Amino acid sequence: MFPNSLKLLWGALQKSRFDNAACNIRGASRQPRFRPPYWYVPKERVWTDDYLTKENKQFLEEVIKDKLEAQTALEKKALTSPILNDVKKNVTWTPQTKRVGLIARKIGNYPLWCKDGKKVSTTLLQVVDNHVIKYIPPEEYKPMIKSNVKWVEKQKYGCILVGAENIDPSVVTKDYCGIFDSVGMLPKRHLCRFVVSPESALPNGTPLYATHFRVGDCIDIRSKTMDRGFQGVMKRWGFKGMPASHGVTKTHRRPGNIGSGGEKARVWPGTKMPGHMGNRWRTLRGVKILRIDTKYNVIWTLGVAIPGETGAMCYLFDTVLPLKRNKTAPPFPTQPFMNDVPKEYFEDTIHPFDEPTISYYEEI
Amino acid sequence: MFRTILNKLNPVELTCGFHTTACLNEVRLLTRLRVVDNSEIGMRAMAEGKPPKVICVYNKQRVGFIGDRVMVAIKGQKKKGILVGLKQTQKVKVPKFDSNNIVLIDDNGTPLGTRIHVPIPTILRTILKEKTHSKGADYTKLLAIATKFV
Amino acid sequence: MAVTLRKSTELFTVAKWLTRRDCRTLSSLPEKAKLASLEVTEKAETSRRRPKKVNPLLENRHAYPEFLPDPNPKWRNSLREKLERADMLKRRNQIDIPEFYVGSILAVTIADPHSQGKTNRFVGICIERKGCGLRAEFTLRNVVDHQGVEVRYDLYDPTIHKIQVLRVEKRLDDKLFYLRDALPEYSTFSFDMDPEILPEGTPVPINPVKVELKPKPWLERWERQELQGISNIEQYLTKKDKVRRELRKTPWEKYDLMKQYRKTIPIEEQTDIWSEVNSQLQQLQLARKKSTRKRTFSAPKTQLG
Repeated sequence: MFPNSLKLLWGALQKSRFDNAACNIRGASRQPRFRPPYWYVPKERVWTDDYLTKENKQFLEEVIKDKLEAQTALEKKALTSPILNDVKKNVTWTPQTKRVGLIARKIGNYPLWCKDGKKVSTTLLQVVDNHVIKYIPPEEYKPMIKSNVKWVEKQKYGCILVGAENIDPSVVTKDYCGIFDSVGMLPKRHLCRFVVSPESALPNGTPLYATHFRVGDCIDIRSKTMDRGFQGVMKRWGFKGMPASHGVTKTHRRPGNIGSGGEKARVWPGTKMPGHMGNRWRTLRGVKILRIDTKYNVIWTLGVAIPGETGAMCYLFDTVLPLKRNKTAPPFPTQPFMNDVPKEYFEDTIHPFDEPTISYYEEI
Repeated sequence: MFRTILNKLNPVELTCGFHTTACLNEVRLLTRLRVVDNSEIGMRAMAEGKPPKVICVYNKQRVGFIGDRVMVAIKGQKKKGILVGLKQTQKVKVPKFDSNNIVLIDDNGTPLGTRIHVPIPTILRTILKEKTHSKGADYTKLLAIATKFV
Repeated sequence: MAVTLRKSTELFTVAKWLTRRDCRTLSSLPEKAKLASLEVTEKAETSRRRPKKVNPLLENRHAYPEFLPDPNPKWRNSLREKLERADMLKRRNQIDIPEFYVGSILAVTIADPHSQGKTNRFVGICIERKGCGLRAEFTLRNVVDHQGVEVRYDLYDPTIHKIQVLRVEKRLDDKLFYLRDALPEYSTFSFDMDPEILPEGTPVPINPVKVELKPKPWLERWERQELQGISNIEQYLTKKDKVRRELRKTPWEKYDLMKQYRKTIPIEEQTDIWSEVNSQLQQLQLARKKSTRKRTFSAPKTQLG
């Protein structure tokens, strides 16, 4: 009896002491400033030479096979779920709804021709094995706190984790594998979250296709720009540099003056200086879709300004630009797989290559 | 610069070992042009080996493109003209010529000559129609005296 | 680590490539015509002793160079190349894009919204072919009314109604920009030229004509480019020009195997590409032959009528 109560007392004392200490340090119990979401786990595994026997290797293969089967079962279940197949939907699309996006790979550029004979350059984006990994409802979704901006939409939006490109589970860490394992999927090379409204929630394991978007729609594309390394001001900020001759020595590509004297006799924050250029996340907004290939899941977008090199990963989602937003309802929550879709969709102004030659006629 | 341009135009008379960098073939201030219509002043200037010089290009860039109006100094006079062929690299399907060609016009857009004796790009039809306004000068008269379109 | 790995693989591929006997024929660039002709004669001599195996698939690379992608590894992607080729073949099914070379004489009819009849026809000598895939372009040059005119066309532009080859031949060089500085008669062709039909099975003839240049100034320094098709260049050169030409020569470049390798698509990839498109190209060729035969039969009739 006695030692038991003593223990309780000791525990209470300890607790209060810790609380006090915390109060002393922080003033109030606040959340940490930076709290990455739980799916931010190290992905790359430290490679060790595991000398696997033949049987072990076989066993591993069997396990992967089983998991793949489980995944296809999950896919089937997701495809037959009422959310995708309900004809009279209880949820409808409104202009305020946020849909899920796609993860695509930039695979190159080539020209297409309009029906009036104009040539337009396009960028090709390939959507590779995109699956919904998990839906996190608004109550559970606690995004990362950023500076002093209050998260206004905290109650409104949830998020969907989307993965792309299957990889061998043995090459990633256990933690990373665990994210996928908890929902019965095999790990993916890329994982990304899209903030969505609760109406556009999707069951785990739903495959996403390029037909999630329609031709003629505008999308936003987020990806990393080309890495250009440490660059001077002329390349990085477009400064003019200095004259090549007329007595100029040792200062041809330099910035020149970086500030004035007096009260401002210091380098002001934000001064354009040499430094690392590129390899940053940038979003190109309002890019039009001109053509969609349903067989290879390729999207042709207008223009060549999509950030990143050939082979870069891009995140595609419905545009937020008010004038270019979807006016009519897109496939909502997503376009399920269908067997009898046409092989390609073209925007109205684009000339398909298998149509006869363009000719002009006199206006009468 | 003046000398090098002269060299480009009259290679036989004025060859000298003067080196220049590769030119952009732009029509800008003081470029020498070739008059391709049969107006008297133009014919005489070309025959004497004193081709007209650009002294103003009437557009924002100050570089002449196809169909642009330019003012030229020719035989001690100021005349206006329209560029009907350029040396510069052109867009796909637009012809590029071996010389910078000009047709002299007056203020109303009426050409001074009665005939153009070199081919003219067809895109000039659309460009000149766009440039002609109902009250301003009518540049499309130039198309009527052309002999050949490419 | 990654760098070393890449290096080693590159070295390996180079070594593989070196071991192959006939390195130069792998080039996707059009060969130097003179060398080709030399080779032909050589072949005729040595054919008894050692019959050379020529992969018929690889021969396509001269007739259809735009089917080979750009060799820059930064821009390569197998799926994009495949889609591009499919689009090219679709376009080729719509109009007949014939086999032609730099130096051939073409007549191109395009739909032109600016011209009066809404079509426009231009005849000229092809002085350049460039670009891969749907970006392929060619440039025609002609002298009309003593005025040199050049027009650039996209090969797969859907506004092109017809590309007619009036004369198939090659020249001694793979770029004929020197025609701009040559006497005008070398690039003058009449618009009502009749197409010359070669008998079937004959190899593409090489025109050995050597052009005469106008005196300096020129647009480029032709003397430094090792051009075969110019006859009178020496008479215009000063002593300084000749010295400079000697200084600027890069005779070692033909031994720079890495440079050659990077300019070309490896033979394995080429065979993949050609085996993918060959059957369709063959069908298109057959269709073209049939139509030309019809034309040749119908031609006398119209003359009689």
